[in-house]
Amino acid sequence: MTSIGTGYDLSVSTYSPDGRVFQVEYAQKAVDNSGTAIGLRVKDGVVLAVEKIKHSRLLVPGSNKRIMTAGRHIGVAAAGWMSDTRHLVKRARDEAHHYHSVYKADIPAKIIAERMGMYVQAYTLYSSVRPFGVSTILACVDTDGPQLYMVEPSGQFTGYRGCAAGKGKQAAKTEIEKLKLEELTVRDAVKEAARIIYAAHDEAKDKLFELELSWICAESGMLHAHVPADVLAEAIQHAERSLDEDDDDDDEMEDEDL
Amino acid sequence: MFRNQYDNDASTWSPQGCIFQVDYASEAVKQGTAVVGLKSKSHVVLAAVKRSPNELASYMKKIIRIDDHMGIAVAGLTSDARVLSNYLRTEAMRSKMVYGRALPVGRAVNAIGDKAQINTQEYGRRPYGVGLLVIGHDDTGPHLYEFSPSGVVSEYYGYSIGARSQSARTNLERHFEQFADMSLKELIVQGLRALRDTMPQGKQLDSMNTSIGFVGADAKMTILDGDDTQPYLDLLDEGDAAMDTE
Repeated sequence: MTSIGTGYDLSVSTYSPDGRVFQVEYAQKAVDNSGTAIGLRVKDGVVLAVEKIKHSRLLVPGSNKRIMTAGRHIGVAAAGWMSDTRHLVKRARDEAHHYHSVYKADIPAKIIAERMGMYVQAYTLYSSVRPFGVSTILACVDTDGPQLYMVEPSGQFTGYRGCAAGKGKQAAKTEIEKLKLEELTVRDAVKEAARIIYAAHDEAKDKLFELELSWICAESGMLHAHVPADVLAEAIQHAERSLDEDDDDDDEMEDEDL
Repeated sequence: MFRNQYDNDASTWSPQGCIFQVDYASEAVKQGTAVVGLKSKSHVVLAAVKRSPNELASYMKKIIRIDDHMGIAVAGLTSDARVLSNYLRTEAMRSKMVYGRALPVGRAVNAIGDKAQINTQEYGRRPYGVGLLVIGHDDTGPHLYEFSPSGVVSEYYGYSIGARSQSARTNLERHFEQFADMSLKELIVQGLRALRDTMPQGKQLDSMNTSIGFVGADAKMTILDGDDTQPYLDLLDEGDAAMDTE
């Protein structure tokens, strides 16, 4: 349900009579218009996956990445405006670097999430700036193990076992809720993440897309990295096969009806 | 519906989740004459249509050299292009002075992308009204990037921006799989062919209004204007004649 915020929605420093800041809600719309991004926190690591919608066949495959690294043990996947994402990742890198120079240790997940949340929230306080049109999913492994946080345009940040943002977030969330995340390994999670992205992708609306997949696990030396080419290929195969199986199931059911 | 309420500055989101000022800045890019960029395994090429305000004036500069290994083609507000090209030149020089190596192209474009993003977020500033096609050659090979006023930077095999550029993009999409193995000469002619599709009825590409730029593994950033473009325009005509006789 959307109510028009006429008159109260021109500036982020204005509340509406029912206590909403419409400019922040509009920034959220920018996130909802973008390709889906998901994060899965499992037994032995974290996986990030993004549905990179391509507007042209001329784009170089493997370029224009939407998953970035901010500190060797922190991965950031984003749904929303890429230029805003780069701004936030730059800030995250500065925060991680500064923490390290003061404490001589890697910045813990909940602290980087809080710093990012506070930074994003600061842009929702003044009329001279606009809120970020990005939801960032932070994957981090620290001394407490693998962790996952999502920071929204309002500055709210929450820890998750599994989260999704972007166009297909409803479909993705439904699929994620069916998984037993505490029992999966990273290898399983990579395949599931690919399957969920493919399932959430709307073939009719956006024909061209590329899957981007990254992880933090023992295999990557507990550092954030895009998955190796063979793992990516295997995940895509698994995803495509599941899509075909769903189609076959539909066909079978039609036959039974006859 | 209430478009005019949300389009006054870059620090206002519209109810649909767009920033109209950024969209309007992209319109300025579409007002500029077309530029085309495309790359092979070893080279990247730019081709541009130049406009002249009147017969007595010279044609404006569309392709600008940033460094020996990098160049840009501009479409939109030329003065904004100057600001960005000066910034790129300074960064390129600084890279050589501080690190003793040529500025990697990807970093250069991300730097201007970040610069442009700030202009889309603060009150009192306006987005840059220019789109760029950035070409360069570094340790990771030849690259072609598009920079747009929103600060988004994308890498392509071939692309076109500016007035009527969709026709050029369609042409490029049809042929891009052959670009990789083309020689420099073939790549330039292919670029001119795509560029020609953006010309309005009755207008031709000639040595006065065409500009060509290229860089590669064995070629420093070079810009061809005037008579230097004639050999390639001739090859373009020859190619057409050959196709007609078949």
